[in-house]
Amino acid sequence: MPQVMVVARNFMDMVAALPAAKLDMLYDSAFICEAVLRSLPPLAKKYALQMLYVSAPVAAAAMEEWVLDEYAAKHRVAIDRLLQLRVFVEVRDRRKEVSYKMNQKFQGNMQKYLVDGGSLPREPIPSSVTARLPTLAELESFALEQWEGNTFYLFLLIRSYCLNATNVHSPSKGTHSFLYGKIVLLAAIDQLISSRERDKFQLIHDENFSARSSEFKVHLISSLAFGIYLDGEAPRLTENGFQFLLMETNAQLWYIMREYISSAEERGVDPTELISFLLELSFHTLGEAYSLNTLTDVQRNAIRDLAELGLVKLQQGFVVVETNFRMYAYSTSRLHCEILRLFSRVEYQLPNLIVGSITKESLYGAFENGITAEQIISFLQQNAHPRVADKIPAVPENVTDQIRLWETDRNRVDMTLSHLYEDFPSKDMFDQCCDYARDHGCLLWEDAKKMRLIVRVEFHSEMREFLRRLR
Amino acid sequence: MAGGDGDRARAPKRHKSSAPSRSIDETAELDYTDDVDDDVRDADREVKKRDFTKLELKPDHANRPLWACADGRIFLETFSPLYKQAYDFLIAIAEPVCRPESMHEYNLTPHSLYAAVSVGLETSTIISVMSKLSKTKLPREIIDFIHASTANYGKVKLVLKKNRYFVESPFPEVLKTLLKDDIICRARISPEVENVKQRCLPNALNFPMLEEYDFRNDTVNPDLEMELKPQARPRPYQEKSLSKMFGNGRARSGIIVLPCGAGKSLVGVSAACRIKKSCLCLATNAVSVDQWAFQFKLWSTIKDEHISRFTSDNKEKFRGMAGVVVTTYNMVAFGGKRSEDSEKIIEEIRNREWGLLLMDEVGYPLVIFEVHVVPAHMFRKVISITKSHCKLGLTATLVREDERITDLNFLIGPKLYEANWLDLVKGGFIANVQCAEVWCPMTKEFFAEYLKKENSKKKQVLYAMNPNKFRACEFLIRFHEQQRGDKIIVFADNLFALTSYAMKLRKPMIYGSTSHVERTRILHQFKNSSDVNTIFLSKVGDNSIDIPEANVIIQISSHAGSRRQEAQRLGRILRAKGKHQDRMAGGKEEYNAFFYSLVSTDTQEMYYSTKRQQFLIDQGYSFKVITSLPPPEELPNLKYYTLNDQLELLAQVGVFCTCCFLLVNSLRHLNQSLSARDDMIGIEHLEEDSDGKALMKARRSAGSMSAFSGSGGMVYMEYSTGKGKAGASKKPKDPSKRHYLFKKRYQ
Repeated sequence: MPQVMVVARNFMDMVAALPAAKLDMLYDSAFICEAVLRSLPPLAKKYALQMLYVSAPVAAAAMEEWVLDEYAAKHRVAIDRLLQLRVFVEVRDRRKEVSYKMNQKFQGNMQKYLVDGGSLPREPIPSSVTARLPTLAELESFALEQWEGNTFYLFLLIRSYCLNATNVHSPSKGTHSFLYGKIVLLAAIDQLISSRERDKFQLIHDENFSARSSEFKVHLISSLAFGIYLDGEAPRLTENGFQFLLMETNAQLWYIMREYISSAEERGVDPTELISFLLELSFHTLGEAYSLNTLTDVQRNAIRDLAELGLVKLQQGFVVVETNFRMYAYSTSRLHCEILRLFSRVEYQLPNLIVGSITKESLYGAFENGITAEQIISFLQQNAHPRVADKIPAVPENVTDQIRLWETDRNRVDMTLSHLYEDFPSKDMFDQCCDYARDHGCLLWEDAKKMRLIVRVEFHSEMREFLRRLR
Repeated sequence: MAGGDGDRARAPKRHKSSAPSRSIDETAELDYTDDVDDDVRDADREVKKRDFTKLELKPDHANRPLWACADGRIFLETFSPLYKQAYDFLIAIAEPVCRPESMHEYNLTPHSLYAAVSVGLETSTIISVMSKLSKTKLPREIIDFIHASTANYGKVKLVLKKNRYFVESPFPEVLKTLLKDDIICRARISPEVENVKQRCLPNALNFPMLEEYDFRNDTVNPDLEMELKPQARPRPYQEKSLSKMFGNGRARSGIIVLPCGAGKSLVGVSAACRIKKSCLCLATNAVSVDQWAFQFKLWSTIKDEHISRFTSDNKEKFRGMAGVVVTTYNMVAFGGKRSEDSEKIIEEIRNREWGLLLMDEVGYPLVIFEVHVVPAHMFRKVISITKSHCKLGLTATLVREDERITDLNFLIGPKLYEANWLDLVKGGFIANVQCAEVWCPMTKEFFAEYLKKENSKKKQVLYAMNPNKFRACEFLIRFHEQQRGDKIIVFADNLFALTSYAMKLRKPMIYGSTSHVERTRILHQFKNSSDVNTIFLSKVGDNSIDIPEANVIIQISSHAGSRRQEAQRLGRILRAKGKHQDRMAGGKEEYNAFFYSLVSTDTQEMYYSTKRQQFLIDQGYSFKVITSLPPPEELPNLKYYTLNDQLELLAQVGVFCTCCFLLVNSLRHLNQSLSARDDMIGIEHLEEDSDGKALMKARRSAGSMSAFSGSGGMVYMEYSTGKGKAGASKKPKDPSKRHYLFKKRYQ
C-alpha cells in the first residue's frame, strides 16, 4: 500500500515545529506575533492577553486554578499550544516547580502593538502611482487560469503514466522540464493562515529579477515527494502522485506549500525567512499593489513561485502607447526595460519612465524571436496605463493594426529551398525534366523559353540522377 | 520579401557621387528632400539611447507633470492637472517634437530659449518654473544650458529710426565685441540688417537682439484708424498668441504657429489693429491676397480707401498717410523689369516705414523661393527691401530642422506661440478629422509593368492609375456622396491621373491651366449646387483655393514624401463646420471630416506615404490602415471590373507616357523647357503670381504642354540649401553652378 503522507493541518503546526532559536527570531517582527496570536485557540488567546503585562513567571499550578476542573483538558491544550509556539516559556525554579513566563520578544511586540496599532513593513503603492489595478474578478480568473494550466499538465502526466509507454512522448522532453516548473509550484497560502482569507495581491516595480533557480523543483522531483520519478527517459507518476491528485485543491496547495517550506533549507533558503514572509503576505490587502523593490532575494524568489501558482499577480509597470508609435512605460524595472526592448527601440530611461518607440525593425526583431503580434498587443493592453486603460481601445487602433499588418507582411512570402537548373542542351531534355519533376510534385517553376526550371531542394538528388540517366 | 518590404523600409542611402543615369528613385529623392531630414533625424535617434535613471525622483513626483533630460529632451504628461500651465510654459521655452494625446515631447534648444527670453521670461523664472514642474531634480546640465543660452539676451537692441537701423547697447564692451565681427562691421557701410541679426544669434556671437516696437510712443509714423469690429472675438488661443506678442505693451517680432483653419487671419488683423500703423501684408499668391484683403475688411473697421491690393492683375494705388497693403512675396522680391505703375508702388513700399510686416505662411515661402528664381535670397530680399518696426510671421507648419528655424529666427524673430492641434480639436475649434490610409494592391498586370526596369520613369503613373486604387476612389466618392451627403475633394498631383479619373467618373476638375472663369464656375457650383459634390484638384488646390464646404479629401497621387503637402491638404477640411457644441467630444458632428490617402501597396508610394504622414502624426493624428476597400460585394458595380477594362487602361498609360517623352524631349530640344524632367511624367508645375512679363510669356509659349513638362516653380521643397537649387530654375544659369544632374543637358 502506498503511504499517503500525513499532511499537516495547519500552517501554525509548522511554525510550532521550528527550533526554538528560529521561532524567537520570527518574533522579532510584530506582525508575526500578531499572526500567531490570531491563530491561537480561544482559551490560549485569552491567556496570552492575560499575561501580556505580567513580567514575572506565573506558576503552572496557579494557572490551572483559572479554569473549572471539567475544562482541564482545554486548559492543557491551550498551554501546550502556547508552549509549542514559545509564546509561553517554561521556567523551573529550584523546587522544580513549573511556572510560565511570556516570551519577552513576543510580549514586547504585542505591547507596542496595543499602543500604536502596529505597522506593516510594506505599504501598498498609492493608486496615483500604480497602473490600473486588476479587479478582484480579474484576479480570480487569473488564479483560476494558472491553476488550470497546472492541473492540465498534471493530467497529461497521468495519461502518460497510464499508457506507461516509455516511447510515448507526451509530454515531450521540453514540456517535461516545463512541467517541473508548473507542478512544483502548486502551492497555496490560502490554507496557511486560518484567520485570513486567501490572499491575492499583486506587486509591481520589480527592481532586479535574477535568473530563476530551479533547485526547489529539482528537489521535489528527486525526493519523490510529489511522486514523479524519472524512469529512464519518461517521467512517471508514483502512487504518491496519484494520491496527490485525488486530494482536494486546498489540500494539494497546502501539500506543496509544506514541501516548499520544508525543503527550503536544502535549497539554501532559511525556512524562517520564508515563513515570516508568507505570514507577512497574509497581512497585505487583497487587490492592492505592493512594491517589489524592498524585497530581499529570498522573498523575491518566493513571490515568483507564488505568481506561477496564480496566487500573486506580478505587474511590471504600465504602458502608454501613442498614435505615433511612441511608448512610455512607467517602470523602474530593468527587467521590464529588457522586455520592452524585445519589441521596441528604447530611447530614454528615466528614474520611473522608459521611453521607446515601436518600429518596424524592432518588431521584426521580435517576430524573429518567435514573439507574435497578438502577444505584443495583449501585453500592451494588459499593462495599459490607467489614464488610457478606460479608453477603447487602450492601445491606439492604428498601432495594433500596424503591428498585425507588419506580422502578416512577413507571411506574404514563403521560403522554399530549391534548386535552379538551366543551360539544357535540348528542348526535349528540358521537357522531360519538367515532366519528371512535375510527376513527383516537385516542380516549382519553369520557363520554357529560356529553358530554366526550379525544383524543390529535396528533389535535387533524384533530379541529378535523372539527368545522368538521360545522358 | 516582395517589393512592399523594401518600399516601406528606410530611405536608401543617398549617393553623393554623380552617376550618368539615375533612376527615378534617386531623382525623386532629390526633389522631396525631407527624405534627407528624416534620415538625419533617425540617425540622431540612434545615438540618443540615453540613460537618465540616476536622476533623483522627488517624493511627490506623481503630482508633477514633466521629466527633463540632460540632453534637453522634455516629456510632459498631458493628463496632469498642471498640464495647461506646463504646456504654455514649455511651448514658450522649447520646441515641440511630438504632441499626441497623453505624452508630449519637447526639445530645449538655444533658439527656443532665445524665444523664451524674448517673450519676457527671465532666466531665473525659466529655471524655477521648470524645476517646480519637474518630477526629478533638474539635471545640472539643463540649468547650465539655460544659463548659457539666455545670459546675453537683452544686451543688444535693434531699433529702426528714420528708415535706418541702429544697434544699441548700454554695454560698450558688447558693442566692441560686435564691431570686431567682420559682417557687422561691414554692415555699417552697406546696411544688411538681416546679416547683422544672423551674426548675433545664439549659434554665432550669441547676443540675440531685442526687437521691440514701442508703437504707442511712435510719433513719427502716422496712425492708421482701424479697430477690431465688436463681432470679432478672438478665441482663447488667439488671445494667448497675441498676448505673447504684446506682452509688455510693445510689439515683438516673431512667428505664431496655428493650424490651418484655426483663424490665423484674425490674429494678423488683430495685431495690425493694435499697432494702428501702416501694415504690409505678404501672402503667397493672388488668391490669398484677395482673401487677406477680405479678412481685413471683415474683422476691422478699416476704411476701404486705406486698404490696397498689389498683384500683377490688380495694382491699386495707396491713398492717405497710412494704410494696409496686401501683396505677394513675389511681387515685392521680383528682380526683373517692372511696369511703370508697379515700379511706383514698389518704390512706395520701399520707402515707407512700416509699423507691421505681416507675413503669411512663413514656413512656406522659404520653400517656394527655393525652387523659384533665386532661392532663399528672395525671402531675405523681401525683408531687406521693406523697413518695418515689427514683423509677424504666421504659419501652420513650421519645420524645425535647425537650419531652417535659424533662418526664420533671424529673418523674422523667434516663435512667439504655437497652438496644440489636439487641444484645438478637443475645444471644437478645428474639425476632428478621421485619417485613413487605404491600401490598394496593385493589379497583377500593373505591378508587372511597375517592376520592369525600362518602366522606371512610368512608375508614378502606374501606381496612380492602379485600377484597384481607382475603384477604391470610386467607392469612397459614391459612399460619401450618397450615404452622407458630403462634399469631396479628390487630390491628384499627377495630371494624367487627375484627368483620367475625373473624366471616367464625370466630375469637374481644376488644375493649373484651368482658366479663372472656369475655376470660379466650378467652385461656385461645388459650393452652391447639390449636383456637384465632388471636384478633382491638382496641387493648385493645396492651399490657394478656399473651399470651406469640403469635408472629405481623397488623395490619389501626391508629391512623394512631402509632409507639408499632407498637412496643407488636411488643412483644407480643418475649418470647423456646424454648431460649436456639436463638434465637441460626444457631439453629433464629432467626426465630420475625412481624409483618405490611397496608396498602391508594394510600390514606392507606401514608403512616401509613411513619410508624408510624419508631421501630422507628430501633431497627434493617426492614420487608420484600411485594407479591404472596396468591399467585395461592391466590386462588380465599380469601373475597371473586368480584366479587359484594366488592360485597356494600362495601354492608355503606355501611350500617354510615350507622348510625354516626345513632348518633353522636343521641348528640351528647343531649349525652352526650363526644367523639363522626363522622370516626372504628368507632374504639374505651377506659376506663382509674379510681376514679370517675361515669365508669363515663357509660360504661354510652353502652352498646354507646360502642364506636362513642368514649366514653373511650385515644387514642395522643404529645405533651403543644397541640391534642390537647380531643380527647376527659370532661366539657364551659369553652367558651373548648375546641378550635376542637369549639367549634361545643357552642354
